[in-house]
Order: sequence, then structure tokens, then C-alpha cells
Amino acid sequence: METLVFQKPSSIQKDCNVTFCPGCDHGVAIRIIAELLDELNLVEKTIVVSSIGCSVFLNDYYNLDIIEAPHGRALAVATGVKRSKPDKFVFTYQGDGDFASIGLGESMHGLSRGEKVTAICINNTNYGMTGGQMAPTTIIGQKTTTTINGRDPNLQGYPIKICEMASICDGAAFVARCSLDSSKEIENTKKMIKKAFESQINNQGASLIEILSTCPTNWKLSPQEAHKRIREELYPVFPLGIYKDKTSK
Amino acid sequence: MTKTAEKVLLKGNHAIAKAAINAGCQCYFGYPITPQNEIGEFLSVEMPARGRVFLQAESEVAAINMLLGAASTGTKAMTSSSSLAIALMQEGISYIAADNIPAVVVSVMRAGPALGYIFPSQGDYFQTVKGGGNGDYKTLTLAPATVQEMIDYTYKAFYLAQKYRTIVFLLADGLLGQMMEPAVLYDYPYEEIDNSDWALDGAKGRPGRWIGSIHRSEEVLEKKVLELFKKYDIIKQNEIEYKTLYAEDAEILITAFGSVARIAQAAVKQAREAGLKVGLFRPITLWPFPEKELYKFATGKKLILDIEMNMGQMLEDVKMSVSGQAKVEFYGRPAGFYFTPEELLEEIKKQMEGLK
Repeated sequence: METLVFQKPSSIQKDCNVTFCPGCDHGVAIRIIAELLDELNLVEKTIVVSSIGCSVFLNDYYNLDIIEAPHGRALAVATGVKRSKPDKFVFTYQGDGDFASIGLGESMHGLSRGEKVTAICINNTNYGMTGGQMAPTTIIGQKTTTTINGRDPNLQGYPIKICEMASICDGAAFVARCSLDSSKEIENTKKMIKKAFESQINNQGASLIEILSTCPTNWKLSPQEAHKRIREELYPVFPLGIYKDKTSK
Repeated sequence: MTKTAEKVLLKGNHAIAKAAINAGCQCYFGYPITPQNEIGEFLSVEMPARGRVFLQAESEVAAINMLLGAASTGTKAMTSSSSLAIALMQEGISYIAADNIPAVVVSVMRAGPALGYIFPSQGDYFQTVKGGGNGDYKTLTLAPATVQEMIDYTYKAFYLAQKYRTIVFLLADGLLGQMMEPAVLYDYPYEEIDNSDWALDGAKGRPGRWIGSIHRSEEVLEKKVLELFKKYDIIKQNEIEYKTLYAEDAEILITAFGSVARIAQAAVKQAREAGLKVGLFRPITLWPFPEKELYKFATGKKLILDIEMNMGQMLEDVKMSVSGQAKVEFYGRPAGFYFTPEELLEEIKKQMEGLK
């Protein structure tokens, strides 16, 4: 007799055709979010806001209600969804370019207003879908297709620190930065997302989880080397941790 | 629900706001800009008082995207703005159109280009009717001419938005927005449209729904746009609206919309009193434009005189509709000076002299 020991979360599409590059962390993030939707019994009340970038194809993966936001406007769209349907569970899924470059205004205002939504921001320090251009989070010295000699602070300025900025928003209830570079960190990321989701369920305010993620194709690294880069190069610039927690107060 | 109607003295912008409440608008998102601020100020009090949503957005870009979010859940929702700020909304407008979701945008035009000033203007006919967002889409556009019609067409805007799952513009100008006059405020007269077969409300007991515009196959994208235009064809068949005055036997037919049509109406009456055979053709739906209807009325006329508070924007649709059946002339002023009936009558007389 067969015993089922492992299965797909219920909100993952049957027979979905994953189009992410080998070694990309998007798939892991999407999976652990789906696991949490099951664990917290949220599947049937969730409305997801997708964004522009590699995050745009959520409908290929999730069997959930999804609205596609224009580039950078996910927090504004999420505001409209949640304000019109306050009993629904609403999260955005965005890249760092979407969240912190073109959408920085909408992101900060959504957090400051304390919208009862959760923003998931995948930070891979470049514009992945368009071929690896400089992002707001590209670190000093990092080579991209628009900083071929490495990001020079005199020319391109400094990277945006997403969680640090978000943490000063009074409306934010829970803000944390995590990583997917090991099974230990994946477990921790899931815990952080769970806390963020719970802060929304408990109406405590806006929440943001920034996830350091690989982009092996544009980083021109193997999946293993890409995870190593996160630990060695990104951790010092973007320290992991909880930046704001109003959930226990 | 009891049917009520009361005669009230109302400012145009307040008429829109009150009608939106009566129409069942549940969410308003906006950002301040003159000459439409009374709408947001009024709703900031009256919406929360009814347990509904008023939200001042951080920008017009955010406001239109909040509207997109609320519209995706099938909620009756609107924004209002003006000219240069409607320009900022164009990307979101294109998304709402592509997504087949219902939303109402009130545009109270001011004089441009760019910052211009808060004077009345009709300089955003192109912006509204021809679109400013990307790709093939249309915006159903209603152009009221009185405070009473601000009520009538705000109701209709909500109804048509729901009926066709499309974006509807109420295109007014600073003159109409700021003007105060008596009007009858009555209950929302249209049926409610069921949206349970498409709106996002959490995938309970059904597969997830996706509302979006990205299509990675040429076949699918083309099919989506063709479907959109099938819907537009139905709107064209059903919803064209226009009014005429002495248009049948006129030698000169004036074309004008919105507040200018109202001033032109007074000029036409004065002309008739003076024995001049002048008529008026006033499109109320600017898209869909009453092309065939104008063609019919224009045929056999000595002159079509298009009058607008701009440098000639509807003029292009007028010329296209008239299709060479009559000579078309234009009279307009671009920035803030609205016409008097006497001024228009003088222009009509001048044009009549020219015909001799």
C-alpha cells in the first residue's frame, strides 16, 4: 500500500510548466507561500497582486485569484483590492525593481498607510527578466548589462536598502529580510512570511518580506555559486533579520 | 427602495459626487487638483459616513491603480481628476480597458498644455477619446452640458461601466464643475449587473481567476484584442447618444459638445429669432462618436461650423463623419475664455456672409 508523504500545496497549478531559469529562487518562494496558504487556511480568501518582471507569470503557477498590477503599482492595486474587500487576504509578489525603483512611492505609501496587505519582494539585485540591468539594489562593484565596469557610487549612486527604509514606516507591522540560500534559511523565510501573513490576519498593519534571491542566468554563476554569492556578497550589504515587529505589542 | 426626487441647487462637482453616492459607488480614490477638488472633499465626508471608502492617494498614478484593484473585485469605484493629472493615469486606464473591468473616471478639464491654468477648456478631447495609454482600446466617453446632466451621466457612467465591463469617462470642464444651478436629484435608475462570474473574491469552490493583460502567444493576444473590439462594436450599436436643435432645415449646422454645446444652443436660438437658419448637432457620447448620425444631418448643409474650447480636436471626428458632404469650418479659443452666445452669433453671421 502506498502512503502519500509529500504533495503539492493545493494552490499550486496542476501540471504547471515552470519557466524560471535553473537555480532561480522564485520557485522556492512561490512554493513556501503556497504551503503557508494551506497551513493558514487562506486559499479560498486570497487575492494575489502580481507585478512586472519575472514575477508576472504567477497565474502559470498559482490556482488563486490574481490581479496583474502595472509596473511598480502593486501596493496601490493591493490597496484598492483590500479596501474594496477588507475580508479577503491580499499579498503582492514583486521584484526589487518593481518594489523599490519604479514603485518606491506606492510601496512606501502603502506601508505608511498601514494597508492590511503583505508585500513579498524578491531581491535579486538586478532586472532579471529584461536581461540583467542595474537595479536599485545592485551592490557597489556589481557588474550588470548597464554597469559593465561594476556599479560606481559616483556614477550610479548607492543601493536602496528596502527593509531599512520600510522599517521607518509607522504603518508597517512586520518587516523582515531573509534568504533562500540554504534549507535552514528557507525554513526561516517561511517563518518570516508566516509572521507577516499573521499580522495581516490580525489587522495589525502592512507587512513586508524582502527575500534575497538568486539570478544565476544574469549573474553568470552556477546555482551553487549564486547561493554562495548571496552569503558572501549580499549578506554584508543587506543583513538578514527582523527590521520591525509590532505584532507582539 | 422608495423612489425619491428632489429639486436642489448644486455645484457641478457636487452633483457628480452626490450622483456617485446614489449610484452605489463603494470606493473613491483621488488626488487633489483644481478644478475638481469639491468631488474629493465632499466624498471624504460622505463616503465614510456610509461605511464606504474614500482614500486620498499619494499620486494620480496610485489613484488609478487603486481603482484598478477595486474594479478587479467587481466593486463600483471611481476616481476624478483633471487634464495634466489624467495624463498620469493613462497607463492604468489602458490596463483597466484591457482587463475588461468596470471603472468610472471623471475628468474635469482645465486649460493646457502642461500646467496651463485652472480655466475651463476642452483641450482633452483627444486625451480622452483617442486615448493616451498604449495599444488598441477605447474609452466610452460621456460629455454632460448642465449640472442636471452631471447627475444623469454620472449614473449612466456607472451603469455602462458595469454593463460592458469597461472604463467610462465622464468628460466635463471647469465651467461645468464650478457652475451652480438647480437640478433634480433622483435615485439611481439603472439595474444592478451581476459580476459573480468574473470578479475576484477568493477562489472559493471554483478555480482561481486571473485578471491580466500579458499574453505570451501571438494567437492569444490577437484574440483578446479582437474580443475587446467586438465589445466595442456592441457599444457602438447600442450606446451612441446625441441631441439636435433645428438641425433638419438648417443651412448652417453647428457641432459642439459639453458646456460649449449649451452656449451654442443659446446662440442658435438667437439666430433663429433673427431669421437665420442655424441648427445644432451635439454629440453626447464622444466615443462612440455619432458618425452616421452626423453624416445624415450634415448632408445637404451649406456649412458645418465646429465650435470648441480648444484648437480643433473634435473637429477631426466631425470632418471624418461629414466625409466631404459639406464644408467644415472651425471656431475655437484654446485657453480659458468661454464663449458668449453673442460672440457665437457674430461668428455665425460672419460665416453666413462668407457663404454668399
